[in-house]
Amino acid sequence: MRYSSDLLARSPEAVLVGLSRNGHRDAFAELVDRRQTWIRNLMRRCCGDATLADDLAQQVFLQAWRRINQLHDTARFAPWLKRIAINTWLQQKRKGDPLLDADEHREFDAAQRETPGVAVDLDRALAALPEDVRLCIVLSYHERMTHGEIMEFTGIPLGTVKSHIRRGTRKLQAQLAAYVESIKEIT
Amino acid sequence: MSIDYDPKLQALFAEAEQALDREAFTRGVMHRIDRGRRLTLVLWSLVGAVAIACLALLAAPLTTIAGFASGLLPMELVEIETAWLQQLLSPINTVAAAIAVGALALRSFYRRIFTR
Repeated sequence: MRYSSDLLARSPEAVLVGLSRNGHRDAFAELVDRRQTWIRNLMRRCCGDATLADDLAQQVFLQAWRRINQLHDTARFAPWLKRIAINTWLQQKRKGDPLLDADEHREFDAAQRETPGVAVDLDRALAALPEDVRLCIVLSYHERMTHGEIMEFTGIPLGTVKSHIRRGTRKLQAQLAAYVESIKEIT
Repeated sequence: MSIDYDPKLQALFAEAEQALDREAFTRGVMHRIDRGRRLTLVLWSLVGAVAIACLALLAAPLTTIAGFASGLLPMELVEIETAWLQQLLSPINTVAAAIAVGALALRSFYRRIFTR
């Protein structure tokens, strides 16, 4: 059965998930359209490389499409997708891609250097952190996950998660002091 | 949350969220999904064709083996002349029963050796 793109655009996410589970391609395309900015930005913060981040984000959605029948609660699509994204990133790290290892101290390419802005500077500061610290920081600040959730998602012990976040926060505060000070006091 | 958690940094992360080209990305994902679907279809067609070819080639030997097995498996292991005893032991006094017992013994031996 075909649904108009307008109808799909107005449908709640749980309905789109239900349709996708029945193999409805257009419904899944709508889900990709809705959730891609979040997943792509999450991947960008994790790896600091726009091209790699987009490739990983595509892999996340491909896996989601293949495994969507395993999602029993259609209302929990977002946390399920986040888990796939984090696992995809962890697998990428385990592969030992030499480009990723170089990420920690790599030079940003010319295009990124010429594009000033908070995103580039934030990615540069994140790239200077060790990988596990970066992951904990991204999950804490980008995803607003609690320490317990980070432990559950990544398998890193709670004490280590806390120390990673403490250490990462201090380093980011030091490196992004100009930005941090320009932000109004937040209560 | 930790006492070292900095709300200003969180605001910075929110500020760094980029508006990205959504259409091209969605198109890319759906293209990869369609390609995967086509590949799966081709692979299954290939597997089906190979299976049919194998069945066609092996039909005659398989029928011979099946005929041989159906003759062999119910054969008595020990010849018993007393009619009622022969009837009573018929479920276990066959080649099939011996093979089944052998398989079970082998499995239990394998488990004892390789588990724990």
